[in-house]
Amino acid sequence: MEFTHYAWLIPVFPLLAFLVLTALGRQMKGIATGFSILAAAAAFIMAVLVFTERLGENVVDYTWDGFKWIGIGDFAIQMGYEVNNLNTLMLVIVTLVSLLVNVYSLGYMKDDERINTFFAYVSLFTFSMLGLVLSINLVQFFIFWELVGVCSFLLVGFWYTKPAARAAAKKAFIVTRIGDVGLFIGMLLLFWNMPGNSLEFSAIHNAAHTGALSANVITAAAILVFIGAVGKSGQFPLHTWLPDAMEGPTPISALIHAATMVAAGVYLVARTFPLFEESQAALTTVAIVGGFTAIFAATIALAQNDIKRILAYSTVSQLGYMMLAMGIGTMSSYTAGMFHLYTHAFFKALLFLGAGSVIHAVNEQDIRKMGGLGSKMKITMITFAIGTLALSGIVPFAGFWSKDAILTEAYHNVPVLFWVALVAAFFTALYMARLFFLVFTGKPRSDMHPHESPAVMTLPLLVLAVLAIIAGFVYFPGNAWFGEWLLGESPGEHADMTVMILSTVAGVGGLLIGWLLYGRRTFTEDWVEARALPAYQLLNRKYYIDELYDNGVVKPLRGIGYLLDWFDRYIVDGAVKVLSGVMTGTGRIGLRMQNGQLQAYGLIGVVGLLILIVAVVGRRYFHVG
Amino acid sequence: MDNIANSYFLLAAILFCVGLYGALSKRNAVIVLLSVELMLNAVNLNLIAFAKYGPVPSITGQIFSLFTITVAAAEAAIGIAILIALYRNKGTTDVLEMNAMKK
Amino acid sequence: MLDNILDFLTSAESLLFLVFAMVVISGAILMLSYTKVVHMVVALAFTFLGLAALYVMLDAEFVAFVQVLIYAGAVSILMIFGIMMTRHDKQEEEPRRPWHNGLLLGGSVALFGILFFAIQSANFESGTLDAGVDNTKAIGEQLFTRHVIPFELMSVLLTVTFIGAIILAKREED
Repeated sequence: MEFTHYAWLIPVFPLLAFLVLTALGRQMKGIATGFSILAAAAAFIMAVLVFTERLGENVVDYTWDGFKWIGIGDFAIQMGYEVNNLNTLMLVIVTLVSLLVNVYSLGYMKDDERINTFFAYVSLFTFSMLGLVLSINLVQFFIFWELVGVCSFLLVGFWYTKPAARAAAKKAFIVTRIGDVGLFIGMLLLFWNMPGNSLEFSAIHNAAHTGALSANVITAAAILVFIGAVGKSGQFPLHTWLPDAMEGPTPISALIHAATMVAAGVYLVARTFPLFEESQAALTTVAIVGGFTAIFAATIALAQNDIKRILAYSTVSQLGYMMLAMGIGTMSSYTAGMFHLYTHAFFKALLFLGAGSVIHAVNEQDIRKMGGLGSKMKITMITFAIGTLALSGIVPFAGFWSKDAILTEAYHNVPVLFWVALVAAFFTALYMARLFFLVFTGKPRSDMHPHESPAVMTLPLLVLAVLAIIAGFVYFPGNAWFGEWLLGESPGEHADMTVMILSTVAGVGGLLIGWLLYGRRTFTEDWVEARALPAYQLLNRKYYIDELYDNGVVKPLRGIGYLLDWFDRYIVDGAVKVLSGVMTGTGRIGLRMQNGQLQAYGLIGVVGLLILIVAVVGRRYFHVG
Repeated sequence: MDNIANSYFLLAAILFCVGLYGALSKRNAVIVLLSVELMLNAVNLNLIAFAKYGPVPSITGQIFSLFTITVAAAEAAIGIAILIALYRNKGTTDVLEMNAMKK
Repeated sequence: MLDNILDFLTSAESLLFLVFAMVVISGAILMLSYTKVVHMVVALAFTFLGLAALYVMLDAEFVAFVQVLIYAGAVSILMIFGIMMTRHDKQEEEPRRPWHNGLLLGGSVALFGILFFAIQSANFESGTLDAGVDNTKAIGEQLFTRHVIPFELMSVLLTVTFIGAIILAKREED
C-alpha cells in the first residue's frame, strides 16, 4: 500500500475532529476530547506510516495537484499535496507534538469550562499546520499560513476574560501580519516574474536554479519571503509577540513554540531555500538576523522572571539559531538548521509542558517565588532537567548534536557567526541553569503546596524526555544518515573536535556559573541585581523594544488615527450631514406643500401647467420666430 | 378671421378662468362645486361654438356637449352627496378643514 | 380697429352676443363676489341662462333647452338643496391665504393671457354648419345611429350615479 498517496488523510483527521468538536459545542466533554486525541493519534500513525515508507530505497517525491482551484484564462492555481522528505519530517514532528499536547491538555485543561472549544482550536491549529506543510504552491501555503495565524490568535486569546490575553492575541495577530504582508508582496513578485506565473514550489526551485529569474528578483523575493518568516518565527525585530503569547494556556505555548506556528517560518525558508541559495545578499540577511536574534533573545532571557517568558525568549533565540544555519547557505548548514528544528521541537515541547506542570501545581509563574519544587515533583524535575541539558547542548543530548552541527558549519564558513552562536549557547546554558535551580532547588520562597501532576500530563513529559535524549543520534559524527535522507545526498563531513570542545565548554560553563549563582546561592539574586543594575534593568525590560515600538510606532499611528478620526467625524461626516440637511430641508418644504388641501394641489397644478406651456411654446416661439 | 367666433372663444376662456379662480379660492365646498360647473359650461360653450364656426362644422359638437352636460349633472349629484356625508361626519363644509389626504 | 368695433356694434347678432356675454360674465363675477351662498347660486343661474341664450344663437336649440333644464333647473336646485342641508352660519371669512390667493389670481390671469394670445393668433378656417331645419331631429338621428353606444353608456352612468348618490348621502345608522 502506498501510504504516501494517502498523505492527504493526515490533515483531514484533525479537521474532522475540529468539525465534530465545534458541532458538539459544550456537550459531551469526555467523548469530545477523546475524539480529538483519537484524531491526533490517527494523524500521527498515518504520518509515521508515510515516514517509514519514505525510509526505503529509491523513494520519489509524490505530488498530487488534481484540484483546480482558480482558473483565469490559461492561468490556473492548483491545489493538492506534495510528499517529500522535508515535509514528511515536519509531518511527524507536528503530529507527534500535537498528539502529546492533546494528551497533556486532558490533564491541564481538565477544569476549564470551554475545554471542547480548546480541543477544537488545537485540532484546527494542527490541521492548518499540516496543510501548510503539505502545500504544493505558495498560494495554498499562504492560506494555511494565515489559518495558522488565526488559530494562534484564537488560542493565545483563549482566556479572553483576561485583558492581557486579549492584548497578547491582538499583538500576535498584528505583528505577524506585518510579516505576512512581506510574504504576500514576495508572492506577487514571484507571480509576475516566474515563467508561466507559476507559484508551485517545484517550479520556483527550477526557476531559481536554471536562472529563469534575474538576480535582483531572486534577492527581493527571497528577502520578502524571509520577512514573512521573521514575523511568524519571532525573529528580531518582529519577535515581540512571541513572549506575550505566553498569556495563552501552556500546552498551546508548547504547540506554538515546538511544532506549529514558529516552525512555519523556518519551514518556509527551507521550502524556498533554492531562492536563498541563489542570492548571497538574502543569505547574509538571514544569517545576520538569525545570529543577532539568537544572542539578543538569549540575553533577555537571562533577566526574565516569568517561567514561560524565559522559555519564550529561549525559543526566539533557538529560532535565531535555525535561521543562522539557513543563512550560512550550504546544503549541510541547511540540514543542520532542519535538524535543529527537529530536535528543538522535542526538548522545547518538553520544557514547556514541564513548565506547564509546574504552573499547574503551584499556580504561579514567577520563578522568584518558587523553589524547592524538585522534591515534590520528581518526574517533572527529572524530565525538565533532561530538557535543560538538551537545550544547553550537553553531550549526548539531542540539542548538543544539532547545535554542534550548526556551530561546525558556522565555524567553517562564517567564523563571526560561530562566535556569536557560541556566546548565545553560553547564555542559553546560563539562563536555563538559573531557571532550573530557582524553580527546583533550594527552599520554597513563598507559601505553596506543590503536587505531582496526573499521569496524562507526566506521560507526554516522559515520551518527550526520551526523545530529547535519543533524537540527536540520527545525525552525529559517524552517522550522517539524517542529512543523506533529507537531501538525498551526503551533506559532507560535519565533525570538528575544536567546535565540540568549545561548545561543550560554553554549555557546561554556563550551567556551572548558573549553579554557582543560583544553585549554591553563593551569590544572591539581589547581589546580581545590585551589581549589574543598569545592564540587568536593560535586559529585564527586554532592551526596551516594546517601549520603543509603543512610542515609535503605535503612538504616532494612534495619533494619525485620532487625526483621521477627527477628519472623518467633522469633515466627511460634516459633508454628509450638510447634504442630508439639505435633503431634509427640501423634504420639509415638500411636506409643507403636501398640506392635504385640494385647492393647494390644484394651484400647484395650474402653476405647473403654465410653466409647461411657457416652456414649450415659448421655446418654439423664440426658435422659430 | 371671423370676429364673432373669436368672441365666443374668448368668452369661454374668461368663464373658464373665473371658474378656475373660484374653484381654487372659495372655502365653501358648495361654491367650489358650482365653480367646477362653471368651468364645464365654458367647455360646452367652446364645443358648441366650434360646432358652428370651427374648421369642420358638425352637429357632433352639440352631441358631445350633451354628454358633457349629462356627466356634469351626475358629477354635481355625487359631489353634493359626498358633501352631505362629509358634513355629517365633520360638521363643516370648509375645504380648508378637509385635509385628510395629508395623513 | 375702430371700424371693427363699429362694425361689431352695428351688427344685430353682435349686439345680442354682447348683451348675453355681459349677462354671463357678470353672473360669474357676481358669484365670486357675493358673500351669501344662496346669492351665489342665483348669480350662477343667470350665467347658465345667458349661456342658453348664446347656444340658441349658435344654432343649438336643443342644447340650449337642455342647458336650461339641467343647469338652470336641476343643478341649481341641487346646489340649493346642498346649501340647505348644511349649515352656513360662518359666512365666507376674509381670505386667510394671501399667498395662495395672490398666486391663484396671477395664475388665472396668466392662463387667460395665454388663451387670449392663442385664440388671437390662431387662424381657423371657419366653415358654416348646416344645422338643418330641425335641430332636435338631427341630434336625435345622430344619437341613435353613430353615438348609440356612448348614449347607452350614459344611461348606465346615470343609474350608477343615482344609486351612488343615495348610498353616499344616506345616514350610516340605517
